[in-house]
This record gives sequence, C-alpha cells and structure tokens, in this order.
Amino acid sequence: MTRKTLILSLALALGAAASAQGILGGHVTGNVQLDGQMSRADSTIGSEEVPERLLLNARADILYTNGNFSAGIRFEMYQNPLLGFDAQWKGQGVANYFVKYSGERLTVTAGHFYEQFGSGMILRTYEDRYLGIDNALFGVGLQYRPVDGITLKALAGKQRHFWDLGAGLVRGLDAEASLNSLIKPLADSKLRATLGAGFVSKYEEDENIASAANPEHRLNLPLNVGAASLRADLGYGGWSLQAEYARKGQDPNAVNGYIYRPGNALMLNLGYSTRGFSAGLQAKRIDNMGFKSVRSLSGEMLYINYLPAITKNHTYAFLAMYPYATQVNGEQGVQADVMYKIKKGTLLGGKYGTDVHLNSSVVTALDTTVTGLAGTDGYTAETFSKGPLLYGDVSVEVAKKLSKSVKLTATYAYQVFNPAAEGHYGAALIHNNILVADLSWKVSKGHALRFEAEWMGSDSHYDPAAGHDDRRAGDWIMGLVEWNIGTHWFLSLSDQYAYNDGTGNYYNISCGYTHGATRFQLGYGKQREGLLCIGGVCRQVPASNGLTFSLTTSF
Amino acid sequence: MKRHKHFNFQFSIFNLAAALLLLFAACDTIDSEEYTIYDGAPVSWSPAPAAPEAVQRAYIEKYTGPKCNNCPKADRTLDAAHEQIGDRMVVVAINHPTGQGIPYPNQPDLRTDGGNAWDRHFGITYLPSIHLNRTELYTGDISGIASNISQSLQGTPQAAIGVQAALNGSAVDITVDIQHTLSSTLTLTAVIIEDSLAYRQLDGAERVDDYVHNHMLRKVITSYWGADLPAGQNLLRGTLSFTPADDIVLENSHIVVFLSDKASRRVINCASCPLTTDH
Repeated sequence: MTRKTLILSLALALGAAASAQGILGGHVTGNVQLDGQMSRADSTIGSEEVPERLLLNARADILYTNGNFSAGIRFEMYQNPLLGFDAQWKGQGVANYFVKYSGERLTVTAGHFYEQFGSGMILRTYEDRYLGIDNALFGVGLQYRPVDGITLKALAGKQRHFWDLGAGLVRGLDAEASLNSLIKPLADSKLRATLGAGFVSKYEEDENIASAANPEHRLNLPLNVGAASLRADLGYGGWSLQAEYARKGQDPNAVNGYIYRPGNALMLNLGYSTRGFSAGLQAKRIDNMGFKSVRSLSGEMLYINYLPAITKNHTYAFLAMYPYATQVNGEQGVQADVMYKIKKGTLLGGKYGTDVHLNSSVVTALDTTVTGLAGTDGYTAETFSKGPLLYGDVSVEVAKKLSKSVKLTATYAYQVFNPAAEGHYGAALIHNNILVADLSWKVSKGHALRFEAEWMGSDSHYDPAAGHDDRRAGDWIMGLVEWNIGTHWFLSLSDQYAYNDGTGNYYNISCGYTHGATRFQLGYGKQREGLLCIGGVCRQVPASNGLTFSLTTSF
Repeated sequence: MKRHKHFNFQFSIFNLAAALLLLFAACDTIDSEEYTIYDGAPVSWSPAPAAPEAVQRAYIEKYTGPKCNNCPKADRTLDAAHEQIGDRMVVVAINHPTGQGIPYPNQPDLRTDGGNAWDRHFGITYLPSIHLNRTELYTGDISGIASNISQSLQGTPQAAIGVQAALNGSAVDITVDIQHTLSSTLTLTAVIIEDSLAYRQLDGAERVDDYVHNHMLRKVITSYWGADLPAGQNLLRGTLSFTPADDIVLENSHIVVFLSDKASRRVINCASCPLTTDH
C-alpha cells in the first residue's frame, strides 16, 4: 500500500467516522493555525525584499477519538515558509497521520508519533512550530504496563525530515519502575522513588566520508550507533532529586566533526519546596552527545535526543536578546533558582505579600585537548575542570501587588555572553546589565493596561567596518503599552531603540480579536535579526519589516 | 478470563521485547586503528589476451625498522638468498609502526598506512619478522629461509601472474594478467616499493647513517587486503592506475603484485616489474 493510499484510507476512515458520530460514537476535535508575513527591504535593519510579497505557514490538526481508539491527521502548508524557516519546508500536504489504541495495559501507535525517554537525553521526538522543528517518528510505538508501577516502551521508525523521512532507522526500548507501586511497604511512604533505563539504537547505511588526516582514506563508520541511559527520580517530603546519566557509542557525524569519541551526559536536579518557598539546583555536563538519525546532517533537524537547557528561558525582550543555545558537543554548568514569598502584613510584604525570584546560571565549555580531526577520537576532556565561560547570568525579580488592581514586577539581570556559543570564536565576551519594570493595571472589569519599560547597558558595539555586525549590540531602551479592551480586543504598541553604540529602531504595533477559541492578530513593525531559542534549541530569525498576522482556532 | 488474556498479551510483549533487545545489541564499536579505510585504486577487469608465464614465485614480507639492530643481518641473509634464487623471490620491506620502527630524528619516515595495517593484523611484536607467502613466519634465526623459499617454488603453480607498469604523465598505469584454477575467492594486491634509500640504521651496535634500504614499501596501491577477482573467470586482466607521491624516486621503484586467498590471506603467487616510460 503506497503512502498516498494509506493517507487516503485514513482520511476516508476519519471522515466516515466523523459523519457517523452518534452511530459509532466518538468525537472529532481539532485546531487550525495560520501565520502570515509580508516584509520589505530595509537597509537600516538588514531586512530583504520578499519576492512572494506574502509568506504563509498554515496547519490543521484533526483528532478523532472513540473509546480506546484514536486517529489523527495534520495538514501543513508552507507557501512559502515564513522568514527564518528552512526553505525545505516549502510545500503542502498531509504531514502527520496516526492511529492509536490505548488499552488498560497496552498502547499501540502506528504512523507518526512523539516519544520521550526520561529527560530526553537519549530520545525525544517533538514538534515545535515556532522553531520549525518536527522530528516525529514514523513507525510503530508500543507502551505496555505488565503490572501497576512498571511501564515498558518499545518503538521503531524513521524521523520526519521536512516532507520526507530521514534515512536513519531508530529503534528504542525504555523501562520505568515506580518503587512505591511495586513494593508494598513503600506504598504510603514519604519516600517516592522511580527508576528507569532506556536504550536507543540508530542504523544508517555506510557512506563515503574522507578522513581529515589522509584524504585518500574514508571513515570506517559505525552503522549501528547506540545510546543508553539510567535515571532515578527520588522524592522525600518537600525534597526531590532527579538524576540521569547517558552514554552514547562511537558516532562520527557532521555535528561533532566526524570524531569517534563516545559521548556521555549527566543531569542532576535537586529541589526543595514548601509553602511560600522553593529552591532548585541543577547541574549538567554533556560531552559529545549530539545524536542524529542522519550522520551527515548539521543544523537542528533529525536529532534523536534532546539535551535540556540549564539556563532560564527568559521572556522579557532584552533578557532574551542573547539566548543561550545548548552546545551539544560539550558544555557543563549549574543553575540555582530560589523563589520566596514575603508574607503579607510584614514590612517588605505589605498588604498583599511580595514575590522574590532569584536565578543564576553559569555554563562553561569543557576543558579539552584536541588530539585530531575527522577520523580520530577528536579530543580528551578533563572531568572536573572547566573550559572558557560560555554564558552566565544572575537575575532578581521582585513582584508586588501595589493595590487590588495594580501589580508591579521589577527585574534586574546581569549577563555575560560568549559569542563562541553562536559559533563566533575568538570574539570578546559581552556583558549586559538589564532593568525591567512591568506594571499591570486592571482598569475595570474586562479592561486592563500593561506598561513595560526595559533598559539594557552593554559593552558590545555595532561597527560593521570592524567586523562587529551583530545588530543586537549596544545600549537599548524599550517601552511597551498593552491594552486589553473588553474581553475580545487588545492593542499593543512597543518600540526598541539602540540609543548608544548600536543600530536600529524597532517599533511594532499589533491588535487582536478573540472570540471563544478563535483569535486573530494583526501586527506591523520591525523585527530585529537574532536567535529564537526555546529550551536551548534555537532558530535564526532574520530581520523583517512589514505586516504579520495570525489566526488560530480550535473545535 | 480477563487475566488469562492479559497473560497472553504479556507473554507476547516480553517475547517482542527480548527480540528487540537482541536487535539493539548491534551497537558497532570500531578500534582506533580502524577508524579509517583505504579503498585503494579501483581495478578494472577484462579477459586477458594471453595467459601469463606460469612461474611460481615466492613473496617475502620483511618487517623492519631503523632501530632494529638485527634487521641488517636479515637483509644480508635475504640478499644471499636472492643471489641464489634470483627474480623468483620478491621482497617487500615494511617499516614497523612503533618502537624500533620509529625513525631517528630528521630521518625519512618510511612507515605507511597499509604497512601499519598489515603489521597490526599479523601482530608483529619484534623485529625482524619475515613472512614467506604469509604462511610461514621467521624471527631471529633466518639462516634456513633460502632452502624453504626454494622448496616453495617447486611444483606447478596454482595461479600464474604477470605485471607491467608504465608511466603515463604523472600517473602509473599497471596491467596485471592472471590465470588460475582455483575456486575460492582470490584478491589482487598491488604495491610500490623503492630501492636505494639511504638513511640511518642501527646495524648491530653501530649506527650507520647512510645504510641503503631496498624493497621498502612506499604505498599499498589497491586496498590493503586487495581487490576481489571476479568469480567464474580464470583468465583475466586487471588494470589500475595511481599517482605516486613526489618523494618516490620512480627509477628506483618496482611494482609488486600478488594474488591471495581472501579467506586465509595466504599468498598464492606474485610478480614484480620496474616502471617503464613507454606506454
């Protein structure tokens, strides 16, 4: 049966099932999203003319559920892809379809599906429409619970690669045991323990890749590459500890420069929380853990695994201007996070209490000694030694309700950013001081205003003649006003301006209308080039100047 | 009834998991010496216009090194054998990759990737180490090797092989004619060797600065273990071409080719020729 026949059969089955609602039972849900963009050339920000005038990304997900059975289909269209999305997305068609049986003990999925083992360090397939990433597996996935407390997973398939499938075959097994469910005396214990282990193997055909040391030689590539992990999730009272250690076999690939050094990764997450207070300490070390189903592919597509970020995912514009992208070839770092609520009625707490949030993270490269290039082990790394600083930040956020209707959030952050994290090796470290004031005012029922003011002082400077062409450089100020008009409308105005050592004046105006599950938004303005990062995974966003609009709805 | 159904499910799922586990055991590990592969110059095959002369020759591999004090003694023994046996004895000298094979400072490095691969495969641990047709190993006392070589030349050859090599611009074109009666898979290996290389060598207790090294392997032209002969053809011609490195003195060089049994790597017959300029 061809792929087209399969899709058609599935669509017909969905249609028949949908039209038969009430006879066969079940229900259909779905959502639709449409994003459009127009942009014109603007030399002051570096945006280029869009020959098509209008760029569109669209998708529609439809899910049919009937008892234990479910089936889904997703239509996607990129005609042409929005700026910053890979040109290989261009096209339209059914991009994802699956059928699924979810029994009491057994769940079987055939078609496209997403899965994660542990924290994802050996396997995580996921989709992020804003990053333009979809590495869904197309194959078969099983989940089985032989007894309460034990979950076994098995899967096999190939990963989605734009409108095709990657050449590599991915197989995986995972087992997780909840000791509290398996061991009777622990059933009501304050100690909570879950243990897990996973194994993932990738098979890919041989290919001819030259050795760096001797171009007459080709690499003797491992066709089967394995990765395994052990993990524990422990808790006692307000304490929690998650630990996962992963190892990957020899995997010469384009990301690591075709070296044969095995990979490893360790992730530790210690937390404590009680009423009004929580603290977390996270540590991570990864060494050559990029794991893709196609060895010769660089970029963000076809990763089998996901290496969790250890830096805070900031939301304020200037705090997020220099996002940190996870360095899959090697990094180590720690992050501390403390949240404390100062009780109301105290001097600092006032009438409503005050929330204080402290966060700091430091990430360095590994301390490595290069021993060779493609066709060698590549390097040696000292375990308890650090390489150059890649990223560091500390932020203090204080949120205080000033009255029943007014809330103020003030943030100070200090960042150190190494351009090497974005591939600009040898460039000087960038130091930023950032202040943010965010005031929310509930004017009346259904009406709210939000004011945001940001300032960033940086020692970076924009000077293309000297090779400093990063348009994020310099000192910046920003203002934003957001007005929610009733329950349906909103209007937002903002402007970011590089007032010293930088370039650009990025104004934006947007308005939107929401009715039930449907939301329409229209915007006009300038977008600075930079990186969009979600969870340490990033996409380059080019400069744009023009109209944007989006429509989302669900049913 | 429900429990029974679950049991069956459980049983089949565990069977499946066990099968998958076996599958996943396939996680390839490659030794550091084998990170790279040399495919060598490709060999084109065609029917040979005429059978080569049916002469059995002896293929001698001599593992040597500039800091091997007994290696010159082995050279002299082999030279004496050559005086006795003549051109039916073909010698290829391979510089050991480590220890006594490491060159003296500011001296030529005659180690080769192909030679290193052979050395590792045959587990050469001390020098000199001499192989006759890759079947018999001689270390230490090699005084009896001449009679053994002579003995190996008796009888009708199982395969005949002849070689011609000609310069074609900067490339060397090699033509090999083969006739054999064997049914097992055979491989053809071609190498270039160089004579009259004078550099420092330990000879007994003496360090000789201009010791003349002959038959030194400069490059394995085909893949290290040779190109497979096409099955079902007993009279065939193989042609291949390669460009020698600039530091090889072609006037002092020879092309050596040998036929091996692919499974055992035993050498069945060999031939050598100088490089000619007529083409």
